[in-house]
Amino acid sequence: MLDIGSLVDGKYKILSKVGQGGMSVVYMAINEKANKTWAVKEVRKDGVLDFEAVKQGLVAETDILKKLNHPNLPSIIDVIDTEDSFIIIMDYIEGNSLNKALEEYGAQPQEFVIKWAKQLCDVLGYLHSRQPPIIYRDMKPANIMLKPDGNVTLIDFGTAREFKAKNLADTTCLGTVGYAAPEQFGGMGQTDARTDIYCLGATLYHLVTGCNPSEPPYEMKPIRQINPGLSGGLERIILKCTQRNPADRYQSAAELMYALDHYEEIDDRYKKKQKRKLAGFISALAASLVFTTAGIVFNVVATQKATDTYQTLLNRATIITDYIEKVNIYCQCMEVPNMAGEKEAYLGLIRTFKEDDYVFTKDESDTLIKYMTNNADALQADKSGYATICFELGKLYWYYYEAPEERATRSKSWFQKVIENAPEDYENLNMAKTYASIGEFRAKQKNGNNAEGISNTEFMDYFNNLKELLNTVATNTNEQEIVRLELLEMARGMLQQYPTTFKGLGISEDELMQVYDLIAKTTESIEPISDVTEKKKAAILENMADTKQYIETAYNTKAEVKE
Amino acid sequence: MNFIISTATDIGTTKSTNQDSFNACVYNTSIGKIAFAVLCDGMGGLSKGEVASASLVNAFRKWGDNRLPVLCANGMTENNIRTEWTGIVTEYNEKIKVYGKKCGLTSGLGTTVTALLLTGTRYYIINVGDTRAYEISDGVRVLTKDQTVVAREVELGNLTPEQAENDSRRSVLLQCVGASDEVYPDLFFGNIKTNAIYMLCSDGFRHEITEGEIYNFLNPAVMTDAEKMKQNMQALIDINKQRRERDNISVVTIRTF
Repeated sequence: MLDIGSLVDGKYKILSKVGQGGMSVVYMAINEKANKTWAVKEVRKDGVLDFEAVKQGLVAETDILKKLNHPNLPSIIDVIDTEDSFIIIMDYIEGNSLNKALEEYGAQPQEFVIKWAKQLCDVLGYLHSRQPPIIYRDMKPANIMLKPDGNVTLIDFGTAREFKAKNLADTTCLGTVGYAAPEQFGGMGQTDARTDIYCLGATLYHLVTGCNPSEPPYEMKPIRQINPGLSGGLERIILKCTQRNPADRYQSAAELMYALDHYEEIDDRYKKKQKRKLAGFISALAASLVFTTAGIVFNVVATQKATDTYQTLLNRATIITDYIEKVNIYCQCMEVPNMAGEKEAYLGLIRTFKEDDYVFTKDESDTLIKYMTNNADALQADKSGYATICFELGKLYWYYYEAPEERATRSKSWFQKVIENAPEDYENLNMAKTYASIGEFRAKQKNGNNAEGISNTEFMDYFNNLKELLNTVATNTNEQEIVRLELLEMARGMLQQYPTTFKGLGISEDELMQVYDLIAKTTESIEPISDVTEKKKAAILENMADTKQYIETAYNTKAEVKE
Repeated sequence: MNFIISTATDIGTTKSTNQDSFNACVYNTSIGKIAFAVLCDGMGGLSKGEVASASLVNAFRKWGDNRLPVLCANGMTENNIRTEWTGIVTEYNEKIKVYGKKCGLTSGLGTTVTALLLTGTRYYIINVGDTRAYEISDGVRVLTKDQTVVAREVELGNLTPEQAENDSRRSVLLQCVGASDEVYPDLFFGNIKTNAIYMLCSDGFRHEITEGEIYNFLNPAVMTDAEKMKQNMQALIDINKQRRERDNISVVTIRTF
């Protein structure tokens, strides 16, 4: 026990005891020279049964905290290891935990809760973006300090690290694990950033309703069933955070932050207001048609309204996760008059088509092409934006189109459009040229189904271009794994199909084997996250031996001829 | 009503301590014979779980010794029992929590509890956690409701009972005495049957065996005297261990006649 009035480390004068945990005592101390107060946490080494365990937790806690720097986290400035205790000097956080606030005042005002939610979301985003990411795992009101200035600080990293999936035979109790997300009980996959999203959702639920979800009846109802005065937008956010399946939650703190920033917009009341706005816009539009003389004036109004409508729709499409609704809203965006040339909705739709099941179907293609064709004039007004859309669309056909035999032909024309429309300084111009050229080659190859009619130069280009993509795209660990594997397979296929031709063109066996090794090495380094990519990877590796044999045979033949 | 009591426990195949605790006895009171049994399944690191379970069993035993005669004299009502038992559980929730902190155990020292009181006509049960009370007469009837995550999931329709038995969360309690902020026990009351078996058991006793097996071994026709009862319970414990139950196994039976 530290004595009140004693000096720690020659600097920190102990003023008073402010808290006591199972294994530690927290004091308030002052550095008199700097006239600044600090918290001093003392962990005694004796009197603790499992000190080794405590120490590990503590070292973890301090090691994590020392490296962090965020306005909503306490900073640790010193750790002193003395003979009989560990002393940690850290920011003194004035105020009380939100748990206390709940005990004293019950449910907290919605606007405060949303403000805190944004700060906590920001902290989570910060923690999740560390390398390696830090998953907090223990978000609950007791771990959030409310400071006198109304801001919050997230405390207590010791317990955060402790909770791991437990052994089946070991009984555990919800009370000790806070608002544990379903996956925290083990057996349902790893805990990750989405675990923190769940716990934050449960925390918000507790704060805004005053009902503790880990007490009977152990459930989270839509919050307006408890208090009809609460926001429908917030209700949706909490429901989405606390979905059982991590895939149904917000996927990142950033996604949740966006929703929190726009919670009023997903509110039912707001929606009605927007509908009225839209109605106003439509009548304005009608009026502008009828009263052509006043057309110019109304046009200005309409343009402004159209921009508003477009932006609102776009925001909604970004946060909605339901596939059909998302596609619908993006289509509505493209139909807003005067906004048909804005690239965001097209890019959003391309992203949606790609991500929903990693297959770009014919129907999806038809939808997109319909809009691209109808709005072609508007789109081409912004050359750079149009090039970006065409480039993304080209890649979408190239890697994801459901009919593999049509991929080359379909994507080729979009890469061609990039080349025609892009400004000279467009960043992906060279990449588009590479794709277009390979696409050209493969289209010819498909038509003749063999090498007939393909010139030597075209073969050379094909080899060099594919090598270029291997080096820039396939080896780029930030690329989608499906993209990387498709390219690797394409390159492997090339080596297997044309070694004799390449030999004839004067490419050495060494050069071919270098490409071969690069393919093998890169493929092996990819760790697939889905069954589809797992199979693709396995298929490539399985065929590698054959490919090698084809190369060797091609070059051996030459040797035999010489003899 | 008359009662025969028999108990059995086993540390199981993997654990180094038996953290189950129980007590059962018959009192001669002003309103006739009363049987009283309590069974707790403790949990928590460093073999302190048995301290939690034993201290709560002890608290209930003391209640039986000291308070039960008073209630018998003044009239026993469901309300009285609810108030007094909930009081014990709430008090020990705090005591065990404080004890855990003192020992430096930051997570999960606690215990379940199922207590059963049988008068000439009625049964009274308090339950926290996943220890259970059963009535075995023409069939097997569970008198308590598990306070576990999987039981709630079954209730909400998210899991089938079969899935629940194999779910990784099957040992996660919604609450327990000592590790919950507040503890909310369930109480059950009902009429008792003559020539029936009333049983308390820890979860280790029931995961690996079926209700059919419980009936075959523990029905009133084969549970004729204390020795027979003990043999039959021991046989079920052995079956459990053959089927690789890892947990501690405890069971208390009371036969009415």
